[in-house]
Amino acid sequence: MFNKIKREWLLLAAFVALALPPLRQFLEQSMVTHMLVQIPILAIIGWMIGKSLPANWKNKIASWNQWGITGMALAIVIMTYWMLPRALDAAISEWYFELIKFITIFIMGMSLSLSWPLLHPIAQGVFKLEFWATFMRLGWLYLDLPDRLCANYLLSDQRILGQLLLLGGSAWAIAWVFRIMFGTKIINT
Amino acid sequence: MSSTAVVNRKIEYSESENRNALIAVKAHLILGLAVLLLMMLAGLTMRAVQGTWLEIGADLFYQIMTVHGVGVVGAAGIGSTGVLWYFLRQYVRLSNTIFWINFFVFVAGVVMLLGSIFLGGYGGAWTFLYPLPGKSMGVWSTGAAAVFQLALLIIGTGFLILYLDMGRGILASFGSLSKALGLPQLFGRVPVDTTHPPTVVAGTMVLIVNFLGIAAGAVVLVMGLINLYNPEFQPDALLMKNLIYFFGHVFINATIYASVTAVYELLPRYTGRPWKTSKVFYAAWFAIVFMVMAVYPHHLMMDFPMPRWALIVGQVLSFGSGIPVLVVTGYGALMIVYRSGIQWSTTTKLLFLSMFGWAAGVIPAILDAMVTVNRVFHNTMWVPGHFHFYLLLGLLPMMFGFIYHLTGEGRQGEQPKAADNLGFYAYLIGAFLTSMVFLASGANSIPRRWATHMAEWVTFAQVGTVAAALVVLGMLVFTFRALFSLPKAAEPR
Ligand code: HEM
Ligand SMILES: [Cu+2]
Repeated sequence: MFNKIKREWLLLAAFVALALPPLRQFLEQSMVTHMLVQIPILAIIGWMIGKSLPANWKNKIASWNQWGITGMALAIVIMTYWMLPRALDAAISEWYFELIKFITIFIMGMSLSLSWPLLHPIAQGVFKLEFWATFMRLGWLYLDLPDRLCANYLLSDQRILGQLLLLGGSAWAIAWVFRIMFGTKIINT
Repeated sequence: MSSTAVVNRKIEYSESENRNALIAVKAHLILGLAVLLLMMLAGLTMRAVQGTWLEIGADLFYQIMTVHGVGVVGAAGIGSTGVLWYFLRQYVRLSNTIFWINFFVFVAGVVMLLGSIFLGGYGGAWTFLYPLPGKSMGVWSTGAAAVFQLALLIIGTGFLILYLDMGRGILASFGSLSKALGLPQLFGRVPVDTTHPPTVVAGTMVLIVNFLGIAAGAVVLVMGLINLYNPEFQPDALLMKNLIYFFGHVFINATIYASVTAVYELLPRYTGRPWKTSKVFYAAWFAIVFMVMAVYPHHLMMDFPMPRWALIVGQVLSFGSGIPVLVVTGYGALMIVYRSGIQWSTTTKLLFLSMFGWAAGVIPAILDAMVTVNRVFHNTMWVPGHFHFYLLLGLLPMMFGFIYHLTGEGRQGEQPKAADNLGFYAYLIGAFLTSMVFLASGANSIPRRWATHMAEWVTFAQVGTVAAALVVLGMLVFTFRALFSLPKAAEPR
């Protein structure tokens, strides 16, 4: 019991720390940390809070979330929106977009954590491949596009992000191959 | 868990599951057959146009060429999936629902393809090679090219779902894909188990390569779509070509490795001798997993900026691609049939023909995969020559043989009907001639993918038209047989 409460407070503290100017401005200085550090951490916090919701809440939500479809749909809408470059730009320039970002990404993580286990294993597989392909597609786009996508970030930032996405996608693919071919789990994906 | 522990354990299904599964398999085969027949008519039309016996506009020719290419590849995909799924479900638990989902996703994709081609006018070939789809010079709209690629993406997703189910089933029965491929046996970690089902080995190989092929397709198709609507995004054309050919080559090649399960499963039933797996068998299939994926650069031999090593790998592996499995399968088939007192029926004749067609068709393929030869034969009719050879005489007979088996033909020692004999020989001779005329045209430097042929080439096309008519005749017999006998045929035992 003690442990559980402590963990939730920690998560909340992390959330607040991310939202306060020092860390927020530091992470939003560069496209790479914005997209690969800040947003994922927010989603993970949402995910973990979602995991530790009381059981009767989960049950109530689950009746609105047959097979995880509602939650996944919500998560995908949020994810797609924040993949738009102009959305990120707006988050930097306007405080209310920033607020919306913090809230919706958190909700996205939470709805993912509530829905993913309910998904049919085959659907999980399709989503995983689709997420992986999105990594590769975005990475490629960021590398090849002649222009900056975000008014707030440098072209070189965009290029580095592209390379990192491609690298991450490749590592992910290799981990899968080992897992599927030989049953070795490098990471739990 | 040793892989010996799980073998021989056939999966139990309920009566109604089995009935539904049989209907689903028949639906796959009938759809595949019907599409193939239509596409052969399209092929006949193209030949007649090239032979000046028929006049249509160049636009329409390229639309027909596009629908022919994408149609036969799709039909081969759906038909061979029916074959593989039917046999694989004996050893691993597969879901009927997923099988049907893929079927209907496929049908939806086909409708989109037809729309993009015949309503939207898309005629950029089934290879949708970037940047052609976006540069039609007004012949087709951006929307048409987009729907075409979107349809392929959707069809790919359907197959992805099916392969995930197969993967899930294989993992549940065998623990890992390497065990299903027989690798622990190959490398001597466990004793060789000759009853390890060959179908599981083949199914695993198909699932691995197609999964990766579809992953590449999912990336490249979306990049193409982005380019269509944002022309300022110009991906590296050579990278796009690599991915497209990886996807396309793997997908069409996998159909033959899926269909060959019919040979493994059916010849033993007709001869009463089991198909025994061995180390050589595992080694061949293990090699082919990599070869099928590594040989696609033979499509890029004239692309000089390609890294040298990739082309060399492509060339060297192409010599051997297909050979390992071909040899173990051909040799195995001969050994099973030799002095077995086999009753020749249309089923067994077709299966045996497939071994010949596959083996012989590989020869012109290997020739063309040599850089020096390719310099001359690249984009000549030699290319359609080699693939029509092993698709018409290798792949399709496996599927047709399986269909005849399902109709129950030859079970009580009954002789093939005259019509079936006529169909078989018309098909055999027609398909052989069709391919040989393509090869001869290629040897005479006639280019592929030309709607209008020069006067000197017309005779080739005319002979090709006659040959195509023979194929269609044979195909009509097969199709009628399937339409009349297949729906009511009981599960053969
Ligand atoms: C009666 C049988 C058939 C005839 C007469 C025929 C005829 C043709 C013709 C004339 C072409 C275009 C050649 C050119 O480049 O000028 C072609 C292309 C092609 N055919 Fe067939 N075909 C037949 C059956 C098949 C089958 C059964 C398959 C596969 C299972 C197949 C696969 C292909 C493919 C992949 C292409 C390439 C299309 C492209 O270049 O984009 N064909 N065929
Ligand atoms: Cu190829």
